[in-house]
Amino acid sequence: MLSLVIFLPLAVAVGLYAVPRLSDRVVAWSWIVACAVDFALVIAMWIGHGTGDGISYEANVRWIPSVRAGYHIGVDGLSLPLLALTSLLFLACAIYSLRQERQVRAFAALFLFLQTVSLGLFAALDLLLFFVFFDLSIVGMYFVIAGWGHGDRMRSALKFFLYTFLGSLVLLLGFIGLYLGAEPHTFDMVELTRTPPLAGSAGLGGLVLLAIGIGLAIKTPTVPFHTWLPPAHTDAPAAGSAILAGILLKMGTYGFIRIAMPMLPDAWRRYAWVIIIVGLISVLYGALVAFAQEDLKRLIAYTSVNHMGYIIVALGAAGAVGDQAARQLAVTGAVTQMVSHGLITGALFLLAGILYGRARTYDMGRFGGLAGGAPVFSGLVAVGAFASLGLPGFSGFIAEFQIFTGVIGSGGTAIVVVGALAILGILITAALFLRLLHRTVLGPPGELTAQVTDVHRSELGAVAPLLVLSVIIGVAPRFLLDVIEPFSAAVVSLVAR
Amino acid sequence: MELYAPVLVLGAIGAAFVVVSMVVGSIAGPKRYNRAKLQAYECGIEPTPQPAGGGRFTIKYYLTAMLFIVFDIEIIFLYPWAVHFDELGLFGLIAMVLFLVNVSIAYAYEWRRGGLEWE
Amino acid sequence: MITETSSVPAAVLSAPTITEQAPHIDYWLLSPLLVVFGAAVLGVLFEALVPQARRRALQLGLALAATAAAFVLTVLQGGSIPAGEAGTTLALGSVAVDRVALFLQGTILVLAFISLLLIAENRRGESAFAAQAATVPGSEEERSHILAGSQHTEVYPLVLFAVLGMQLFTAANDFLTMFIALEVMSLPLYLLCGLARRRRLFSQEAAVKYFLLGAFSSAFFLFGIALVYGYAGSVNFARVSEAIDAGGASLFEDGSGEPLLLIGIALIGVGLLFKVGAVPFHNWKPDVYQGAPTPITALMASCTLVAAFGALLRVFYTAFGASVDQWRPMLWTVAILTMVLAAVVAVTQRDIKRLLAYSSVVHAGFMLTAVVAASPEGLAGAMFYLAAYGFTTIGAFAIVTLVRTHENGPEAGELAQWAGLGRTSPLLAGSLALFLLAFAGIPLTSGFIGKFAVFEAAMAAGATPLVVVGVLSSAVTAFFYVRIIVLMFFSEPAETGPTVIRAGGLTGSAIAVGVAATFLLGVFPSPVLDNLVPQPSEEAAEPAVATADGFTR
Repeated sequence: MLSLVIFLPLAVAVGLYAVPRLSDRVVAWSWIVACAVDFALVIAMWIGHGTGDGISYEANVRWIPSVRAGYHIGVDGLSLPLLALTSLLFLACAIYSLRQERQVRAFAALFLFLQTVSLGLFAALDLLLFFVFFDLSIVGMYFVIAGWGHGDRMRSALKFFLYTFLGSLVLLLGFIGLYLGAEPHTFDMVELTRTPPLAGSAGLGGLVLLAIGIGLAIKTPTVPFHTWLPPAHTDAPAAGSAILAGILLKMGTYGFIRIAMPMLPDAWRRYAWVIIIVGLISVLYGALVAFAQEDLKRLIAYTSVNHMGYIIVALGAAGAVGDQAARQLAVTGAVTQMVSHGLITGALFLLAGILYGRARTYDMGRFGGLAGGAPVFSGLVAVGAFASLGLPGFSGFIAEFQIFTGVIGSGGTAIVVVGALAILGILITAALFLRLLHRTVLGPPGELTAQVTDVHRSELGAVAPLLVLSVIIGVAPRFLLDVIEPFSAAVVSLVAR
Repeated sequence: MELYAPVLVLGAIGAAFVVVSMVVGSIAGPKRYNRAKLQAYECGIEPTPQPAGGGRFTIKYYLTAMLFIVFDIEIIFLYPWAVHFDELGLFGLIAMVLFLVNVSIAYAYEWRRGGLEWE
Repeated sequence: MITETSSVPAAVLSAPTITEQAPHIDYWLLSPLLVVFGAAVLGVLFEALVPQARRRALQLGLALAATAAAFVLTVLQGGSIPAGEAGTTLALGSVAVDRVALFLQGTILVLAFISLLLIAENRRGESAFAAQAATVPGSEEERSHILAGSQHTEVYPLVLFAVLGMQLFTAANDFLTMFIALEVMSLPLYLLCGLARRRRLFSQEAAVKYFLLGAFSSAFFLFGIALVYGYAGSVNFARVSEAIDAGGASLFEDGSGEPLLLIGIALIGVGLLFKVGAVPFHNWKPDVYQGAPTPITALMASCTLVAAFGALLRVFYTAFGASVDQWRPMLWTVAILTMVLAAVVAVTQRDIKRLLAYSSVVHAGFMLTAVVAASPEGLAGAMFYLAAYGFTTIGAFAIVTLVRTHENGPEAGELAQWAGLGRTSPLLAGSLALFLLAFAGIPLTSGFIGKFAVFEAAMAAGATPLVVVGVLSSAVTAFFYVRIIVLMFFSEPAETGPTVIRAGGLTGSAIAVGVAATFLLGVFPSPVLDNLVPQPSEEAAEPAVATADGFTR
């Protein structure tokens, strides 16, 4: 069942190319249907999984026995929310792209390929398999940016590729380190989690964590490895940006929770303070730089750095000493934040794409008073902005509230200071989103305001579900937290080993 | 090291002889040039005219040289075989016949492709 | 130095085992080599006796049949080695028949078979080779030969001789046999390099360059052999290894012969690293790869590299295995230089063949990390890498032969002319993109598994800094591979765009095999990899076996 979920999009992509001369309309609709079916299957798996803390839908096939790497997949409380997020966001992109005109078939096939890769990554229980999907996501996204982007797309795409590819290679180094540290050598995540490798040698453990940390930090991205992100987002097509921010960034933080924390608990605890500080810098730096942006997409990109920073802080705090319940809360908050950020930022990037589609620019200074001509669009932007700044009633609030409570509760004075500083980040984001609304949606009309017509049905159909789901999580988060909490309890006890 | 000392001394004497005789000859000898003396020496026969501008030899010389190698190298292998003919026995005989067949195939190739025709 | 007793000369003379007994030779074990040799000799005979019109078909059939038959024999012998045994040596220990040699020989034969398909490609009577190599380029005589449709069918026997040399190079178990193999392999290649049909002066220049540098490196190699012989009193790898354990031949006082050995290792290393094309001995590669006829470049980039690495691995694992601490720093340095310099220089290349040449140098650097590991895993990784890289690189060069400046024109080497190829011929550009991604080491291609295997082995052997350099270098190489993909798929086609000629059946099948191998070895590497990596269970059964890596000693 899980394999079907993962490879269904790829099969459809192959099918699109196998049938000759499909009209663009047929391609677009079969893409949407494929995504919808996939999403439905994930929901079915969610119901089937229940709220246990084990792995379900497990499959383990020998692949390269000589290095003990297998096709080992399964879902648990961490995978499921991300699988659901992935299939939903890809569905939204498919709907959004109904208005796509250029090379529709290749675009659809590439996104379906990316969907398979992303789903596979979040379900992989083998380091090598994880790495394969990790690298392929880079290749896929590279083609999306280079092929359908705008502006200086070649340069941005190449920068994205080289930066993240280098990161993936460093990650591979770390994986090989884990493999060699395990006795007997294996790439199987379940086995590695059961008996953490390199438990005896602190120095080696630190080095391996450094390699894995850099690899994942580039993908997340955290300061100082974030410089590929703004140009990649600026020049990517809207759907590409949504996937990049919504799904691909999560691969970094997912890797931290899935691999770094349970497999290197010693090193994670020892260097928790480094991780917390890096996260804190990302929070503050991302927020401050975002505040200075004139370009709407760059602004959203930098808020991503800020939001991902919260997750890093929370994960670092999970390795600190202190109350177990608080640390569990931090991890739960981090996973919730991953889902929430995927939904909200995905929606915001799609909205930015709508704006660009009408006026061919992201420059906020040239808009203003959009609420008059495009009320629905303005409403969506407003909802997205409020969700992103963490207003109660939206998923962002649930996530960030848990993170701060968890972080502050998890340690001594130093961590409390960190928590307080991180809350400062929220203030700055609040200010910048209010400024954004003020300058574009409200105020006097700008020179390009007249060009911005209101959203089409397909655009509304793509963006609205994401925001609605964010509200649902904000109001009634239990259905999500019930799945996550058993997992975060397990992770916290694994880290504490 | 002392084992090699006589060899070194002999080498030094040889080199000294060459240098001394050439220097003495160039100083003491008479220098009267004529046309015949300035020409390249080719075993006393009329020198082959050289193409202008590059001093290239025609390819025919190389063909002949290759033919020479075909027959010359054989000797190096045939001689030791002949010396130890008895001990090597049938094995040696078969090996040598195979070797000669191979060499003659190279010869046949050159012959059939016109390597033996001068003009 | 040498002990000064009167018995020394006698000891020196009596040390080599000169036997007057005829050696026993197992011809069955030698049969793969003999088949190729026989076919090559027969090919020369065909040249002499068969009328020109019928030569090409006959020669091609013979060459393909010989490589195929030799491959079958190699596989049969691989199957006849008892489990748990490495293999055996024959002809007085001068040729090894073990798993490593047989695997590499099999790889060489398959790759040579594919290369022969490329070499044989013939469009409207026009092959990649000069109509008559002896004519002066641009002369009236040349034109008349072209119009008459002359062909050099000698190419096929020459390739077979080169393949024979490569087979022997991987199996040679003493230095003299190895040297002969080196020459048998190199001499036909020198000649083949100068036979390009177009840009003939360029091709001849490449041949002369290759010949001069190759001869130079052979001299180094030979001198190294002499020094090692002086140290060990034997050229046999097993004897050399024993001598190193014993601290030199009996005429040396304890350790006094060490300098001889070290200089010998260095010089032999120079000779072998030249063939491999590692920095700083790589200068010939771009010039020769660019100038040689592209099918021959494919042959050299795949088969010759396999053979050279086979020899390098055998020499450093068996003969010099005991002094690994001495040569490891040397190879360490060379590997780092190779990976860094070649990757950086490759970025500036504007010609596809030169770029592939530099990329081959970088890959040689990656494989050297496995040699540095000096472990069974390293050996297995290097062998897998060689096979994977061979298939991919032949495919890439096959594609180069198809992209021309215009119909009936020469190959379009300039990368700028390749812009927009993805629009005009997506299948071809797609195949090349797959090959380039494999070179870059993207997962699900054979390149990833190969790179992973060598890096893992090097890390296990404690060469982590080397692997870090390798990773950085990989990122740099990825840059220029991806740049070509961008150029093909996302750039507007140039006004003077290239013409892609229709792939003939021969070239087409070479590309298809390349694509299939690149993909299959990437997704299902186990059938190959499992045969190479020593299985843990076997290791446990026979603790501390000297032949755990598959070499016979």
